[in-house]
Amino acid sequence: MKIDVEKSLLWTATGAFLIFSIGAVLTTIVPPMVNPEMWKTDHPVHEYTEQELRGIAIYKSEGCVYCHTQQIRHLESDERRYGWRLVNAPPSDSWEYVNDRYNFLGTKRTGPDLARVGGKYSSEWHWAHFKDPRNMGEKFPNRKGIYEKVSIMPSFDYLSDEEIKDLTAYIQTLGRNKNWRVDAEGQPLNDYEK
Amino acid sequence: MKQDTAAKMMIISACAFFGLALTMGILTALKFVVPTVGDIEYLSMPRLRMLHTNINLFGWLLQANMGILFWILPRILHTKLFSEKLGVAMGVLYNLALLGGLIGIATGHVKNVEYGEIASPFDYLVAVCWVMFAINVFGTVATRKVKYLYVTVWYTLGAVIWTTFVYITGNMLSQMPMVAGTNQANLIWFYVHNAVGLIFTPLGVAIAYYLIPKQLNTPIYSHKLSMIGFWVISFVYVWTGAHHMIHGPSPHWLQTVSIIFSFSLIIPVMAVITNFFGTFATAPRGTRMVGPIPKLLMMGTVYYILTCLQGPFQAIRSVNEITSKTDWVVGHAHMALFGAFSYYAMAGVYYVAPKLAGRKLYSEKMGDLHFWIMTIASVPFFAVLWIGGVIQGFAWLNPEITFVQTLEALKHAHWMRFFSGAFIFGAYCLFFYNIMQTFFGKYREEDEAAAVVAE
Repeated sequence: MKIDVEKSLLWTATGAFLIFSIGAVLTTIVPPMVNPEMWKTDHPVHEYTEQELRGIAIYKSEGCVYCHTQQIRHLESDERRYGWRLVNAPPSDSWEYVNDRYNFLGTKRTGPDLARVGGKYSSEWHWAHFKDPRNMGEKFPNRKGIYEKVSIMPSFDYLSDEEIKDLTAYIQTLGRNKNWRVDAEGQPLNDYEK
Repeated sequence: MKQDTAAKMMIISACAFFGLALTMGILTALKFVVPTVGDIEYLSMPRLRMLHTNINLFGWLLQANMGILFWILPRILHTKLFSEKLGVAMGVLYNLALLGGLIGIATGHVKNVEYGEIASPFDYLVAVCWVMFAINVFGTVATRKVKYLYVTVWYTLGAVIWTTFVYITGNMLSQMPMVAGTNQANLIWFYVHNAVGLIFTPLGVAIAYYLIPKQLNTPIYSHKLSMIGFWVISFVYVWTGAHHMIHGPSPHWLQTVSIIFSFSLIIPVMAVITNFFGTFATAPRGTRMVGPIPKLLMMGTVYYILTCLQGPFQAIRSVNEITSKTDWVVGHAHMALFGAFSYYAMAGVYYVAPKLAGRKLYSEKMGDLHFWIMTIASVPFFAVLWIGGVIQGFAWLNPEITFVQTLEALKHAHWMRFFSGAFIFGAYCLFFYNIMQTFFGKYREEDEAAAVVAE
């Protein structure tokens, strides 16, 4: 039997599907089977509280992910930039995210990465920052020598006080599955802000 | 029901959505330089960005492509659309679902899926519409009066089949309760990349494969290249989703696989491009660039090469280190979806609209003007994003430079983006006016008498 693919709806459609399905299966179903750390782990991973889950919902609906990634890449520049008080931020690993029902790894950094921001600033700081973020950052002189705000983060003062607290509670958990604040001997510093 | 009602309705609706999407884009660009503009919940920058991408992808580009194909497919297959009623019903449902989804986005009801923020139940309705579209496509092909399937038909069939799985994976499976963390991220990036690669690429290329030879009145350059392009793209494109996570927390082997296949994409793209340019080269020199349609097709093809050369190179680990997560990515995405595929779709609208209206295009000159303004504005638009992205990428390597300083350095680039974007919007207004006049306007009768009436 001679098959002429170009004359046959059936053969064109089946062929296109089969060829596509090789790559589709190998890049979506196979990875979690080969690398179970994508969805389970033996490390202790933080279980989100009710309040933090509400915070996650706000993080999602406000679209924070479009400006802030949540991944320290395996690059020295990322580790140094997002480290804090002389300790480099360790790169993010798959297992740290297993309890994240909604991932916010992100593709664009208009603002800084937030993967290890938990404990870096006090909750009071976050409160003030959500209310008026542009007033909190550095300022630079313009041509006339007048100092101008540079941060372009939108203010979230339309969120209720409760909502800001929920969001802050979630943000304070970020990156804490790894207790990464250790001194040169590997002793925990436990100097996180509350 | 009157023939081509569905095509007409979807094309008009798509053109209107295009304007809305560009408005959202300009507002977003403005917020990068004057962040106090519209500082309220429904116009916050992330919401605007979600509206901008969703309206562009689903309201404009997908809808325009479907409308154009509703007109093209029956012509190639020498038959009528399988069911005009089904087409119209699908168009109405699609627009309602989209409006519902967009209102949802503006009020914060979203999924954490980039390009797929439209929340349920509206994303399920979009999937239903897609099935209705698929029935119409398969039905039309099955009831055809010709033996051979032309390249346009292959790509349309491919897009219909692939997109079904890509859309379900990204929008439904990724939201299942047991899917979390980097596993979810992997599924979502499979969707994000293939939304561009297996929805808009095949549909755009399908339209170009019909329009280029038809408009230039010359056969396609090489049948073999068409086949290579189609079968290779259906194999290699789907593997590349993980290149959004290079250096990130996903498995190293998966990243390497995605890099290798991202690079292999050069093969099908060059096959398609060679075919298009070859066809342009064989057309008579004097007339091949007359009017907006061949210009848009040519420029779309040029942008298609540039995007598809950028893609493989920025997937290399060392290049990715600089370009990833910066404005560069935004420039790259705009060149693919705006530069290449929106240009093809606009060419399609210019080609189909007069046929649907049963008379000549309102003004060829205005079409040319639209093309030139848009093209000249798009070059600085893309360029500032790339230059800004590279500046940002290198600045991030230096821990002495604070994050806000890297943002400060991009102020001028962001102003440039806003102004060039405004020119693009201006050019769009010409396009919209021209199409609306063609459909509904009153103009000189002798033009109508001389018009090429649709078969």
